Amino acid sequence: MTTQIDIDFLPAEGAVVRLIGLVERRGFALEAMSYAPASTTHRLSMTVRPRPGQRRIETLKAQIARTYGVTAVSERMAPPRLEAAS
Amino acid sequence: MTPASPATLDKRPDTRTGAQLVIDALEREGVSHVFGYPGGAIMPVYDALTASRLKHILVRHEQAAALAADAWARVTGEPGVCMATSGPGATNLVTGLANAFMDCVPMVAITGQVATPLMGTDAFQEIDTFGITLPVVKHSWLVRDAADIPDIFAEAFRFARSGRPGPVLIDLPKDVTQANGVTPGTFACRTAARAVFPLDAMALASADRLIASARRPVLYFGGGIALGRAEAALRAFFQRTRIPAVATLKGLGALPTDWPGYLGMLGMHGTRAANTAVNDCDLLICVGARFDDRATGRLDSFAAHARVIHIDGDAAEISKLRHADVALAGDVAAILSALAGETGPIEGWRRTCAENAERWAFRYDAPGSGIYAPALLKQISQAAGDRFIATCDVGQHQMWVAQHCRFSRPQAHLTSAGLGTMGYGLPAGIGAALAEPDATVVTVSGDGSIMMNIQELATLRRYRIPLKIVLIDNAQLGMVRQWQELFYEENFSEVDLWDNPDFAELARAFGIEAFTLDRRADVPGAVERLLSTRGPVLCHVRIDPRENVWPLVPPGKSNSDMMEA
Repeated sequence: MTTQIDIDFLPAEGAVVRLIGLVERRGFALEAMSYAPASTTHRLSMTVRPRPGQRRIETLKAQIARTYGVTAVSERMAPPRLEAAS
Repeated sequence: MTPASPATLDKRPDTRTGAQLVIDALEREGVSHVFGYPGGAIMPVYDALTASRLKHILVRHEQAAALAADAWARVTGEPGVCMATSGPGATNLVTGLANAFMDCVPMVAITGQVATPLMGTDAFQEIDTFGITLPVVKHSWLVRDAADIPDIFAEAFRFARSGRPGPVLIDLPKDVTQANGVTPGTFACRTAARAVFPLDAMALASADRLIASARRPVLYFGGGIALGRAEAALRAFFQRTRIPAVATLKGLGALPTDWPGYLGMLGMHGTRAANTAVNDCDLLICVGARFDDRATGRLDSFAAHARVIHIDGDAAEISKLRHADVALAGDVAAILSALAGETGPIEGWRRTCAENAERWAFRYDAPGSGIYAPALLKQISQAAGDRFIATCDVGQHQMWVAQHCRFSRPQAHLTSAGLGTMGYGLPAGIGAALAEPDATVVTVSGDGSIMMNIQELATLRRYRIPLKIVLIDNAQLGMVRQWQELFYEENFSEVDLWDNPDFAELARAFGIEAFTLDRRADVPGAVERLLSTRGPVLCHVRIDPRENVWPLVPPGKSNSDMMEA
């Protein structure tokens, strides 16, 4: 199952790379991503899927939340992927 | 650490070089010792260092700087500081950073970098230090403006020691440290979204209900006790509940080794009494531990019939690997103190655990006249007393230290638990001995491990650090050999170190007093000589290469599947 997480963070050199690396190292595949700069905090939205193994999205969110510069982490279910009819 | 007085700092000119601001920042943080090695890109900082009151310890390899800073931090509770130049200097720090990251040790690493106009051009000794270290630091800064140095350093020290401690890195391009006439600016401090957890009254009440209703509870504690400086609270909780207790490798020393009801280390090389208690328990109170695979064995069989109360300073650890029935994230000491801890009728359970501990206690009556390392290590730790600090390398000797030494406090046992860094012991001994000069610091190493950082004997000699080295020599990579014997059908592959140097001669070549021990009858005299020597000393101990570490839980097996000799 995929989950979309929204990460609000203060912009800094290397911040995006740090967050993407954290998600992948902790056992989640990154399926989609969008990035929205704003005046004070930026938002990185990722659709992630746990790789084989018991990986909990709550643990990943807590690991992101303790990252320097992160101001908020939220989760929403990703919409089901629509397959084109053949 | 004693911060510099504001009056002293106020006398400094308003404008400084970037490098001087680095030194100012370290002094302001109360840093007394910096472990490092100079080189091209960090030279401006070393230039400014000569006018400072900071004590720089010149190691002989940057990895040793990081590992010594790691041990310094574990003993003092304050961030250790290490410093290296760009390129290979920085990459040599990486193992030490990873070691600190895995074991949650506060550290500030400072690296030189090529000047900003050269960055990204493959300049001499240029490497992307920021990128290489991303997975092994809590945070890192690449300083682009010298005016930011004061605030970045203040933030780095704060963040390294806050929450779940860890290493941070500050990369300093050479033009930034060379910048003249810098007026310190205000760098926007950024904080993580990490919550400050208030005590959760409902969760505390739930935990107390579980404790009261349990009939076979076990207290399982780890490195989070030392990190949270929570040993007093743990000891008080243990004494008022008298719940049988087990420790992880990093938890050793949080309860004194000889306290009744304490069953020793659990896990792969844990005691049978500890693993049996966890296996049979109906309530597991996990405090500052993380269900590491070396502690749990096969996770689905670990305390399989137990409810779990998980207390940790890091909310991300709760239910990461094992579901917690009650989660208590926050200040570990405050939580332990807030628990009433009234137990049900568990006297029979206490008695069973105590009888198991007695029945399965380690024995020291090994046959023969050669050195039995477990007995030797036990004797050394007992003779050294409450000021004993052991710093270990990695391998069989590391497990013998954990199993057999007497520890009276968490800082008494410094070991590379998470990363398992061969080469940790000697530089860690240097860091520990400088951090606590009154302690009796003993580095226990193996003939494989010590060669990973043997050059640090020169550092010992240079500063006359009174470190006692016990080098357990079986002319083998003993733990690998043991696994090949047990799990690879005795297909011994690249574990024979028959061509080791004469370690006593080698130590003497570095100017270190040394002697060799290979007869059991000589042990009392050797222990006396080791502990009474005023300067650095190395005791080279030859043991039977066929000795194994017992008991052992085979990899991937349940802790109830322990193998014995």
